[in-house]
Amino acid sequence: MTMKRLVLTLTITATGGSLLCSNPTAAQIPPPAKKAERVEITKGPEVELSKSHLTIIRWTTNNPGASDVHYGVVHYGTDPKELSQMAKNPITLNQSHPESTFRVHMRGLEPRTTYYYTVTSMESNGKSDGVKSKVRQFTTP
Amino acid sequence: MHRHQWAMGAAACALLLGGMILSHPVEADKPPMTGHTRGKKMPTPPTPIKPPPSPAPIYDPYPPGILPDDIDAELARVLREIDGIEQEALAQLRALPPPVLMGQPPTLQGTGKRLIQLLGKAMNFDKNISPNRNTACSSCHMPYVGFSGPIPSVNLTMVAYPGTAHFRAGKRSAQRYTYAPYFPVLDYNPTQGLFFGGNFWDSRATGYILQQPDAEQAQHPPVDTQEMGNPDTACIVFKLSQAEYRPFFEQAWGAGSLDIKFPHDTEAICATPGGAAVFGTNVTPVRLKPADRLRANEAFNHWGQSIDAYEASLDMSAFSSKFDAFLASHYTMTADEMAGYQLFDGKGNCNSCHVDGRGTTISPGQTDTSKAATVNPVFTCFGSANEGLPLNPRNAFYYQTTPDSFGFTANPLGFGYRDLGLGTFLRSGFGSAPNPNADWTQFAPSVDGQFQVMTARNAAMAPPGCTTEAPGPFFQKGFFHNGYIKSLKQLVHFYNTRDLYSFDVTSGHCPPGTTEKVDCWPRPEVPQNLDCTTGNLGLTDQEENQIVAFLQTLTDGFTTPYPDSDTFTGTCATGGTAATQGNESLIPTPPLPLCSPQVCGVPPLPSANVDGPLIPCPPS
Repeated sequence: MTMKRLVLTLTITATGGSLLCSNPTAAQIPPPAKKAERVEITKGPEVELSKSHLTIIRWTTNNPGASDVHYGVVHYGTDPKELSQMAKNPITLNQSHPESTFRVHMRGLEPRTTYYYTVTSMESNGKSDGVKSKVRQFTTP
Repeated sequence: MHRHQWAMGAAACALLLGGMILSHPVEADKPPMTGHTRGKKMPTPPTPIKPPPSPAPIYDPYPPGILPDDIDAELARVLREIDGIEQEALAQLRALPPPVLMGQPPTLQGTGKRLIQLLGKAMNFDKNISPNRNTACSSCHMPYVGFSGPIPSVNLTMVAYPGTAHFRAGKRSAQRYTYAPYFPVLDYNPTQGLFFGGNFWDSRATGYILQQPDAEQAQHPPVDTQEMGNPDTACIVFKLSQAEYRPFFEQAWGAGSLDIKFPHDTEAICATPGGAAVFGTNVTPVRLKPADRLRANEAFNHWGQSIDAYEASLDMSAFSSKFDAFLASHYTMTADEMAGYQLFDGKGNCNSCHVDGRGTTISPGQTDTSKAATVNPVFTCFGSANEGLPLNPRNAFYYQTTPDSFGFTANPLGFGYRDLGLGTFLRSGFGSAPNPNADWTQFAPSVDGQFQVMTARNAAMAPPGCTTEAPGPFFQKGFFHNGYIKSLKQLVHFYNTRDLYSFDVTSGHCPPGTTEKVDCWPRPEVPQNLDCTTGNLGLTDQEENQIVAFLQTLTDGFTTPYPDSDTFTGTCATGGTAATQGNESLIPTPPLPLCSPQVCGVPPLPSANVDGPLIPCPPS
């Protein structure tokens, strides 16, 4: 191990250990990624798949950083002015991936019905990533 | 060997004990009445009657096909293997030069560390710890499979292993021990908004007392009603005081550490499985004086700490895989292994949770240019996730709905049970353990359905000459908490296509023209908090195989032989394909009742049912 790598390792482990708990084994937990200054949707949102029991909405952003787990959130409804329903699913960020893909499952939708939706995302503690898509639509099979 | 010869704690004995215990009701930690407390000398208690070795009636509430046909023979085979390793551990202890207690604070200089590791090994393979002296910790955790379940037919069918009272069984697959000591004390990180650490699939061994969850993990199965099944933690200490390795325990933990005056009826009490109706709600039926109870508690902590030391040792968590050699530049991966590694970090996104200690890139070419954060990565983020496994109707837990001969019923909820994992633990719920931190309970709805992210290390470990994959020769394993997945190929394919091939059915009911686990994945048992990091990765068949090849580089024993990995005396299977491995054992899931209020009606209630109708929320 080079001295530079040793210093890096010690720095990371010390930070992780102090952040999380006193158990030295926690040193293995990598510290969370730096929070992105601005989160932007780079692809989508779009329908990944649509079946009678399941519709999945998918979109990609630059890596938002901060908490390891983020939630993709879809607000939806049959009236574009009243997106009163909500679905959300967690993803775990891959810290060194430049982009993050959010996917949200929507179940129990009415068949052959047009839904309007907008997407957003948040950290696992509920703090918003400050990004929101335009309203889009899809029709269930 | 016939199964009736297996159970040794007699029902007649239970009735006899019932009379004995019920006629002397005691409360937890309350000392028995003595001549001093009564003010006059009490008569000497009669010599206790040892329980007769007549067999208890076998508990078999299972429909045909749930218990594997070879269960008796396989349990006997594992016991023979355990006995052999136990003798090896004793020989290792005897051969160890005694450590010397020196310094301030006093330290067992020289061989003190090894002494405690080997003591833990002797404990781990000691079948006498269980009431029927037929179940060791290792009965569910043998070295040739990374210290996970050693019976292929159990892994294929009932998933949970039989405990000391045959055939009570638990509810989940036997987790690998390896690298479990590296998990930190369970805690909630408010900045991350996440739980980290703990041991067990549901993290219920928090480490809050011993500050080492692995040590606390070792304290649960000995008193788990469906596992080793002691009725009192003092029973473990009682057995330690009789153990052949007692001198080494006292050497490690202090002379006099097992000098406890056990009542005359201790042996009879400790020969009766926990949960027996005669005990009622009393969890300390062994009547010890307060000072002896404290000493027993301390010794029981040392039990956990010794086993933890063994699990943390190079005997078990060895860092001796091809991957470790690769990190040290002593091994060059094959083309498929390297491709699998790059997919593991990149397109497969596996290392977002199974952290490999290195950074990643998903850009074309997928070249890893990052610096290593650790050189001994354990391939877990120490967190939990709900991967959406379907309910496995073969799980033995669902069928234990009637009382056994001791009056114990493991699962009165039947198929109304749902395994909410960490969420149930935070609620101190049915089938888990008490949550020691009320501040955590509020987070239960956000973790329902989540189970520990296990290390990926040793997932592929199998006995010499075998793999985990058909056509083999293969050792049948069961992956994830409910053993639904039967091969690593299926495991990767599940992550790759769970959503692509999603059907709104339960296991055993995939539509005609589809094949379960190939192009049909039944709906999740718990839809809440479903992890969507994976589920539709777009991996090709070849890429899936390459990730499997990489996972196989994480098996210890490459740089140095893995201790006791050659102790398997059974046979590996051949034939079939990894993609459909075990599908012959699929059975149709019965119509599922609603989730029992004892699980889903415990506040804070599971989150609004935004993701499926499986767990309807009770009216608020």
